[in-house]
Amino acid sequence: MLKKITTAWALHRRTVVAAALVLLVAFPFLFSNQYIVTVATLGGVYAILAMSLNLISGFMGITSLGHAAFWGVGAYTAALLSTKLGWPFLLTLIASCVVALIFGILLGLPTLRLSGRYLTIVTLAFCEIIRTIETNWKSLTGGATGITGIPKPELFGYVFNTPRKIYFMVLVLCILTYVMISRLMDSKLGRGITAVRDDYIAAQAMGIKDSRYKIMAFVISAAFAGMAGGFYAHYMSFISPLSFSFDQSTLILSMIIIGGLGNLTGSVIGAVLLIALPEVLRPLMAWRQVIYGALLVVVILCKPSGLLGKVNLKHIRQREIFRRGKEKEGEVKA
Amino acid sequence: MSTPVLRTEKVTQRFGGLVAVNSVDMHVDQGEIIGIIGPNGAGKTTLFNCITGQYTPTEGKIYFHDKDITGMTPFQITELGMCRTFQNIKLFPHMTIMENAMVGAHTRIKENLWDAFFHTKAYKKAEKQAEERAKKALELTGLSDNPYYYGTDLPYGKQRRLEIARAIASDPEVLMFDEPAAGMNEGETADLTEFIREIRGLGYTILLIEHDMRLVMNLCDRIYVLDHGTLIASGKPDEIKQNPLVIEAYLGKKA
Repeated sequence: MLKKITTAWALHRRTVVAAALVLLVAFPFLFSNQYIVTVATLGGVYAILAMSLNLISGFMGITSLGHAAFWGVGAYTAALLSTKLGWPFLLTLIASCVVALIFGILLGLPTLRLSGRYLTIVTLAFCEIIRTIETNWKSLTGGATGITGIPKPELFGYVFNTPRKIYFMVLVLCILTYVMISRLMDSKLGRGITAVRDDYIAAQAMGIKDSRYKIMAFVISAAFAGMAGGFYAHYMSFISPLSFSFDQSTLILSMIIIGGLGNLTGSVIGAVLLIALPEVLRPLMAWRQVIYGALLVVVILCKPSGLLGKVNLKHIRQREIFRRGKEKEGEVKA
Repeated sequence: MSTPVLRTEKVTQRFGGLVAVNSVDMHVDQGEIIGIIGPNGAGKTTLFNCITGQYTPTEGKIYFHDKDITGMTPFQITELGMCRTFQNIKLFPHMTIMENAMVGAHTRIKENLWDAFFHTKAYKKAEKQAEERAKKALELTGLSDNPYYYGTDLPYGKQRRLEIARAIASDPEVLMFDEPAAGMNEGETADLTEFIREIRGLGYTILLIEHDMRLVMNLCDRIYVLDHGTLIASGKPDEIKQNPLVIEAYLGKKA
């Protein structure tokens, strides 16, 4: 059943993508309730975070509990540059990427010496250090009260001031992230990343500089998380260290585990699920968290590799096309 | 005579107090098939790891043609033109047969982050080159049936061939096989012997470690015998078969 669906999906990829795009564009017009659109926007932010974390934890295989730190760094960069220096949105967004990227190098460096659990602990510590700095460097970050009054996103004089406009902006950023990361994985560099994850000794023997690939994965991942942060700061117009704590890191990690490690579409689905579920379950009141937790357990028990963890559409498509080509050849000969 | 493709000069590798490889001199000429044999723990794989850059030898020098490659990293050595396979097969489980072979071409194609993000002309060219190299290597190793299945789903003998295909895709001068016949039955070993002879015919120089005496004696032009890290004999297969030191190392002293 699932195999049939994924095969059909793989073969009619363009149709599926077009349908998804139509749905996503129509979404804010289908619901008159602006609250739903706002939740969807938050889902979009988390989708970017999940996709970028997938690069480190899924494709590169390094379990990171520090992803919220990059998000926070991006958000604070944008918030400070726009409130203190009055930089326009586009520039603060780019600056968020760049500053997070530098922090990505910082967190990437320990990967050269550590691996496995030890490295995960380092990422956890990194997240805590960044949060502590955000909380305690009061003169710069405003401490626990955070930064308020960050202007709404504005591009060339056009202000994104309604939930619907904001939604479209996050949609564009999501698509950008998706396309960039999937293109990266579909290249020599992507093969290098996968090879280092699968077997770094064999990867080295094939001429892959594994340390370079590890740092690269961290840097790119951090840049996208920083972008999400920059957008988030302008969209919420208020940020505080609480938004970028360890809890958020684990939430993002849960998203990619539920969606399936190493599958970008899975990350998006995971992000949307984990953001939408609490809202859908709201009528259950006190039982909400219980049901939420139980659902996650059920998903992991039924599909230990996540929803799309073992599905590689590219491979399925290549296999099918090759098989059909051979069948045709056989018919011609017969 | 021209200089050897590969030459070691008094290579020694110590791990703490243990001398795994002790002052080994050997050389490999263009187009030869050279075997390294020896009982378990003789230091064969350690010597291999020194040559391929996994270890930096404690003492001694390694030359590739005239270039000193002692202490170079594995990826530099692959780039120079020496590529290896592993005793315990090391394929990439998340990759298809084709992609495994394409990784082999890694050092031979040029592609950067920009090319990958924007699918530039360089990207298309590089991907095409990688695919062509991989296809060639897979055809040579008889793995082009349906190259889009996962490499780790192949039967054991074919997984070895895929490792060899991956090494060939890197366009090496010297191919190094670490126990290529390990775990194979007689029929598979015979196929492998034939196959290695075939690829030598294509101009590759081959250095291999092996336990299977029939394969080594049938295939190799010259053999080096290691015991307790020391080179105890070298020469043509027939000479090695009769060498009393070798017989002693394998079977023990006469009572």
